[in-house]
Amino acid sequence: MASTDVAAPQAGAIAPRNSRDTAIRVAVWGAVSILAVLVILGAATTSGFLTTTNVRAILSSVAFVGMIAVATSLIMVSGNLFSLSLGATAAITAMAFLALLSHGIVLAVVVTILLGVAIGALQGIVVGSIGANPIIVTIGAVSLQQGIALWASGGATIVPPKGDTSYAWLDSHIFTVPVPVYVLFGTVIVLDQVLRRTRFGRQLMLIGENLTAARAAGMPTTLVITGAFALAGLCTAIGGLELGAFNQSGSLLVEGTLTYDAIAAAVVGGVAITGGRGSVWQALGGAITIAMISDILLLRGYSEGVQILVKGVIVLVVVILMRLNRMRVET
Amino acid sequence: MSERIPNVLRYRGQVLRPFVTLAVFCAAFALLPAYTTGEVGTANVFNVLENFSGVGLVALALGLTMLIGEYDLSVSSSYLLGGMLAVKTGVSSPVVGVLVAVAVGLLVGFIQGFLVAKLRMSSMPVTLGGFIALLGLDYVISNSKSISYSNFEVGLSLNEPIASIFCARSFIAIGIFLLAAAVFSFTWLGRDARAVGSDRAASRTAGVRVDQIIIGVFMSSAALASFSGALLSYSLAYATPNRTVAPLIFATTAALLGGISLSGGRGTPLGIAAGVISLSMLNEALAITASPAYVTALVTGGLLVIVTVIDAPNLVRWWKTAKARRGSLLTGWKGASTMRARDR
Repeated sequence: MASTDVAAPQAGAIAPRNSRDTAIRVAVWGAVSILAVLVILGAATTSGFLTTTNVRAILSSVAFVGMIAVATSLIMVSGNLFSLSLGATAAITAMAFLALLSHGIVLAVVVTILLGVAIGALQGIVVGSIGANPIIVTIGAVSLQQGIALWASGGATIVPPKGDTSYAWLDSHIFTVPVPVYVLFGTVIVLDQVLRRTRFGRQLMLIGENLTAARAAGMPTTLVITGAFALAGLCTAIGGLELGAFNQSGSLLVEGTLTYDAIAAAVVGGVAITGGRGSVWQALGGAITIAMISDILLLRGYSEGVQILVKGVIVLVVVILMRLNRMRVET
Repeated sequence: MSERIPNVLRYRGQVLRPFVTLAVFCAAFALLPAYTTGEVGTANVFNVLENFSGVGLVALALGLTMLIGEYDLSVSSSYLLGGMLAVKTGVSSPVVGVLVAVAVGLLVGFIQGFLVAKLRMSSMPVTLGGFIALLGLDYVISNSKSISYSNFEVGLSLNEPIASIFCARSFIAIGIFLLAAAVFSFTWLGRDARAVGSDRAASRTAGVRVDQIIIGVFMSSAALASFSGALLSYSLAYATPNRTVAPLIFATTAALLGGISLSGGRGTPLGIAAGVISLSMLNEALAITASPAYVTALVTGGLLVIVTVIDAPNLVRWWKTAKARRGSLLTGWKGASTMRARDR
């Protein structure tokens, strides 16, 4: 900090601003490096971290959390904060997929994905058309989805038909890497192109950055926001059916901490929670970070509580740092 | 529309809406035996009031933050954590347990309020971090297990029926609601809080101590949620960690039914109380009719979505645009001109 006083001697009036600027910059980069060092140190000193089995376990976990983190990032980019119902959607699509398997794998995959798209789009319409608060709508959607799942399943855990192996490829490995990892990378590559190169993607970014301006420019804001939620539902449904195939059973408990993990991943990846900035690659990076942190904590024998606590603190720290950084840019 | 209805009446309407809702729910509840096989007795009224003292106070906590135009997602975690802290630390003296819960709530509220007020952060991301972190803390403190509270007498005395429909807990809750209502009606705090919720920049210019109000509201919100969690755990004689968002769903629905708006600046503590009682009666009716779990989940979620839609900022504009568009399709230029006339 002393160096900044020297760095701006000729402009006394703006010196305080510059020193605050540097302080924020130091804080942001400092925190990021501390996190990186902690993860690397943790990985290096945790026995059993650098084994093939463990790396594969991390990759599997990235594949599921990553799909939902990508879904979360789409909603964040659209300026609608985050959805608290994606974990419930993953659970309900896992259940639907396993229940539909008796009608054949193709039908099961297609209907499950359509179900996810519909669940997402319905929430998107409510949020996009009348500006309803996305958090509250998605909290309500959790309860509605649980109600539908309870009604349809009678509260039972769904298991695939006996002897059915048609879905086994979803849980197989190609070159020792699980199939869902390829699906995740494929999804990220496609969605990144969609966000950057299509009209929909650019409109989505602008709507997230400035809804009023986008509306004034005559953009179909309702349609685009609905599209973002529908795409989020699509990603979540793919994650959900993979999860169903992986667990070979589906119940509402599948949800676990998926929703929070996904939000934490998107936030840690640097997707702006207030909208307009961020990419699906960042969500993927965040998902890898969160999966590594979870894995280190798990291997070191920390309880579920500590894992949740750490994610909460990380979310809080990252949103504070991003806000500080934003304030620096704005001044 | 605004020309047809005088502002005073519109304001009255807004203030009275939660009480009209309450009257409708009351009538439906009282008539329950007429169209179901369930019986309605004093025990059901007791349950409604008991619910009022549990999640009801969480609704008040959340409603206060909504009134200043913010939203405290972490109330449901504070509610669970308060209960856990009280059970853990209040074994020898229940008062100590409550004090610990309230103190932690005040600290949590201060941190979140400080970030919202001083860094001008949106309360959603801040309280989301708080929500997840406190949930983790709840699991850490309890080691992911239910913790029972050995001091049964405390719970028994808190739940002892008084005049067959009240108990000590419901009196405490009623007292807190009345206190909040008095503060809001008779001191500058209520007026200033509403001002902060309506137009923050203008309030700041007018000399309202915006930052202090925000921090104070977040502190009272977390402390209230913690406090009611502590009382609930005492009366159940256990606390259990879980990830449910049910308290959040109840509190949000009750606050919105109670005339609080998510855009801030609107509503009163007594309105929230009316919303809480309405929703508690609905829950009790679902219990009386022995509705299956999925019906309860669908009704709870559906009602929240409906009240959120009614509260949505662009509902009126969307409706007018849709109507005008329909009109212009039907009558050509005439519809378009009405649309222009209706646009502000």
